[in-house]
Amino acid sequence: MGSLATIRGLHKAYVMGDETVHALDGVDLNFDRGEYIAILGPSGSGKSTLMHILGFMDTPTKGSILFEGEEVSNLSPDRRAWYRSNRVGFVFQSFNLLPRLSVLENVALPLLYREDYTEDAREEAAKIALERVGMSHRLTHRPTQLSGGERQRVAIARAIVARPAIVFADEPTGNLDVKNVDRILDLLGSLLAEGITVVVVTHDLSVAAKAKRVISMRAGKVQEDRLQ
Amino acid sequence: MKLLIRIRAAVINGLRELQANKVRSLLSMSGIILGVASLVAMVTVVQGMVGNFRQFVDAMGGIEKITVDKQALPKEQEHLAELSEGLTMRDVEQIKATIPIVRYVSPEARVGYEKIVWEGREVNTMINGVTPDWLPVAKRWVNPSEGRFISDLDILHKTDVCVLGSSIVAELFPPNVDPLGKVIRVKGKRFIIIGLLNNIEAQGMEIRSASGKGRGSGGMWRWRNSGVYIPISTAMAKFNGNDRLSGLGLQVATGDDLNYAVEQVERTLLQTHNGLRDFTLTTNEQTLEDFRKTEVAFKLSLGGVAGISLFVGGIGIMNVMLASINERIREIGVRKAVGARGSDLFLQFLSEAAVISVLGGLIGLVVSMGIVSIMNYVLMQAVPTGVVSKFDWIIMLQGLSFSVVVGLIAGVYPAIRAASLDPIEALRHE
Repeated sequence: MGSLATIRGLHKAYVMGDETVHALDGVDLNFDRGEYIAILGPSGSGKSTLMHILGFMDTPTKGSILFEGEEVSNLSPDRRAWYRSNRVGFVFQSFNLLPRLSVLENVALPLLYREDYTEDAREEAAKIALERVGMSHRLTHRPTQLSGGERQRVAIARAIVARPAIVFADEPTGNLDVKNVDRILDLLGSLLAEGITVVVVTHDLSVAAKAKRVISMRAGKVQEDRLQ
Repeated sequence: MKLLIRIRAAVINGLRELQANKVRSLLSMSGIILGVASLVAMVTVVQGMVGNFRQFVDAMGGIEKITVDKQALPKEQEHLAELSEGLTMRDVEQIKATIPIVRYVSPEARVGYEKIVWEGREVNTMINGVTPDWLPVAKRWVNPSEGRFISDLDILHKTDVCVLGSSIVAELFPPNVDPLGKVIRVKGKRFIIIGLLNNIEAQGMEIRSASGKGRGSGGMWRWRNSGVYIPISTAMAKFNGNDRLSGLGLQVATGDDLNYAVEQVERTLLQTHNGLRDFTLTTNEQTLEDFRKTEVAFKLSLGGVAGISLFVGGIGIMNVMLASINERIREIGVRKAVGARGSDLFLQFLSEAAVISVLGGLIGLVVSMGIVSIMNYVLMQAVPTGVVSKFDWIIMLQGLSFSVVVGLIAGVYPAIRAASLDPIEALRHE
């Protein structure tokens, strides 16, 4: 499928009081387009930090990231915002839908910060994304009127509305009941068909089991990187 | 254009936020509402008062008028009292002869407050001996259909004619009687009415009369519309028994020459009075200046009060914005995660502050209209001659823009806080 992102020697250090914490300590990885990857590890292993840096929410202390052929390890905040609104989607454990907006408005939200979308185009794209996740019957509902599984489907629609290259899902099933877990994971898996790279960040082995490739992390380092 | 679209979106979002938190928004607006209301109401009322002052000064003969009055000698000249002749026609002649920028000189010989009688009806009023120059100096006139004023010939022949103020006409004659040609009695002497003075009334002025009807019955203008005017020579010969004047009214060609004219008149009078300072000069400029000072003092103190309340209003907005941002940290994190730039969030929160302040300002304007109406009503009850303040849309616009500026300033700091939040931290926020 071709390489989407290549990271080399990635370091991230935080200074906490007198102590320096190495959240990432020399990570080398390659992500292909259309891959289904699980990043597995206990809390503090660096998996969230890796997701934040790859998701353009944070910058590394050291190392290089080649994203779609461009060096992106040291971008300005506005440039990173551009990548977040154009190339990356996020799905969170707690859904993070805005309670005051309708389902449709929540899904259209990322396009609000894109200058290439008119109001009509935003709505149109949001409707398509909602149809994709099977939620087009709830356009005018508020998030609070939906079940957990429905909310997460709306959140996935929001993550894919801007046609990103990669979607990060941070413990996407953490707040869901068993019945919904599979549905959400299957939905995430189905995004691969559109060439989207899906990265599920989790500490749950059963969630990771769905992915084709599992990257295990511990203490800021890649412990294991295997296909399954 | 792009920025305009972004601002529009941010304003719409701000309105929604407002709608979602009605009570909180109204509370945060209250400071701005009161600030704008008090600012606009106060400036409007002060403006009304000052406008009234101006009209008052104009009715007093305008800014070009110099009034000369008799005055007791100063202490150091008291021993020369016998030499003091007071104001006489000699002064009038001297001023006319030597000071060309004085256009009119109007000597007055007051007879006093007397009873005038017509067919058993009587009215008490001031009897004044004057010359033809009295008309231009007082800025009065006699309408052609209502006779004529005192002429030079009347002065020369000491005729027994008189001109009445309109309120005297209203009090002395029934409405169906034409006063012209009628004979009235003053202290047993007979005078023919040859003219009626124009009625000073609220021509384009925001003045209301106490009764609201009748010829020249208007409150503060009533005294200006009263009085009986006779030739000055008649007044001296038949009543006063001397040629002393009670005062002089002078009119300078233009108000610009006023100070120079005052100087000249003072010098000339000192000459004719042998250096005795038994007179005093006053100008309406001093009155106007006093009014102006009052206006400035009013505006400063009331504006200060209003400014403080606007300031407090700004703090209120800032407070609510900060609280709102605290509540919405997660929302800010989500917006950033999906691609919002710092500037997007800055714009969003600044717009919210602006929307609050604009709405607050608009409500404040409505409240100020209420306040001014109530003040007008109360003033009318207390002082029937009172002032009615008009709404001035420029003042309102100023009040509104002031509130917007306050709102924007108050919104900047919270907006910067929102814009600079770290998205990862914000998303972790519970």
